[in-house]
Amino acid sequence: MADPARIKPEAKPERTASAKEEHPKSGGTEDGPATAKPTDNKESSSQDESKQEVKSEMAAGEDEDEGTSGEPSAKRLKVEPEKKKEKRQKVDEDEIQKMQVLVSSFSEEQLNRYEMYRRAAFPKAAIKRLIQSITGSSVSQNVVIAMSGISKVFAGEIVEEALDVCEKWGDTPPLQPKHMREAVRRLKSRDQIPNTKYKQILFH
Amino acid sequence: MCHFPTRMADEEDETGFDEELDDGSGGVDVGHGKRKRLFSKELRCMMYGFGDDQNPYTESVDILEDLVIEFITEMTHKAMSIGRQGRVQVEDIVFLIRKDPRKFARVKDLLTMNEELKRARKAFDEANYGS
Repeated sequence: MADPARIKPEAKPERTASAKEEHPKSGGTEDGPATAKPTDNKESSSQDESKQEVKSEMAAGEDEDEGTSGEPSAKRLKVEPEKKKEKRQKVDEDEIQKMQVLVSSFSEEQLNRYEMYRRAAFPKAAIKRLIQSITGSSVSQNVVIAMSGISKVFAGEIVEEALDVCEKWGDTPPLQPKHMREAVRRLKSRDQIPNTKYKQILFH
Repeated sequence: MCHFPTRMADEEDETGFDEELDDGSGGVDVGHGKRKRLFSKELRCMMYGFGDDQNPYTESVDILEDLVIEFITEMTHKAMSIGRQGRVQVEDIVFLIRKDPRKFARVKDLLTMNEELKRARKAFDEANYGS
């Protein structure tokens, strides 16, 4: 994953020094007015956009990595292993660099929010208990990891949609239940919220 | 109503909307059964990270928790009904999520990183054992 903290440890102390120079530059890398925003909504939505780009880029190159778990895409890869690996490493590095530039130009409030974004996670024990109470049998650790990961993405989708609704209705940030409910309604119409409670009758 | 803070003035559907922002300990929630709140603290941090205010409303956090629990429940039930019946396996989850690009990418990332970490820890332990 493109983690700016991972590859270049010496980049960290540079962060504050380069913050001033990077300020005018980084406006060009992401969408125009992304650097100093008075409202929280726009900051976070541009951050989220960058995260979406990060994630979708990562997804493209990520599948071929694991030879161990017997992925079917590994067979396709035997044709041109070298080129794809190089390309993926280059995309990886580019992305990491872009993330570093972006994060180094964050204001303190943005840094706080980014830290919370990265760190917040569901407690594995509670998720494991919940899943086990539904299945009645034990589940492996990977299942818990996968489930808490997608639950976080799910929560993020709802909050993002709710922020959109909030902005559209001319309200201000602390999200209210009506925003959340409207967000759920919209996501349901896009089939992003699973619902197996009501059977659909196709032809009356 | 004039002594209420401004952001409360425009609410039209939530009468009895209560301003207890710090009550994360989960009292009685009449809406979804009397289950104790499992993720209140974590969800607050998460909502801030995703763009909400630093102190999100407790009711919104509750709604989000109910939604997340419902999501996990649905996914678990679906996973139990495919692949190996009655069990939840990673492959089932990956299969169910295949149509949603963000979640799919995220699961792949997480599992890959987990493998890397396990390998790194194993190599580290062997190095220690050798010396």
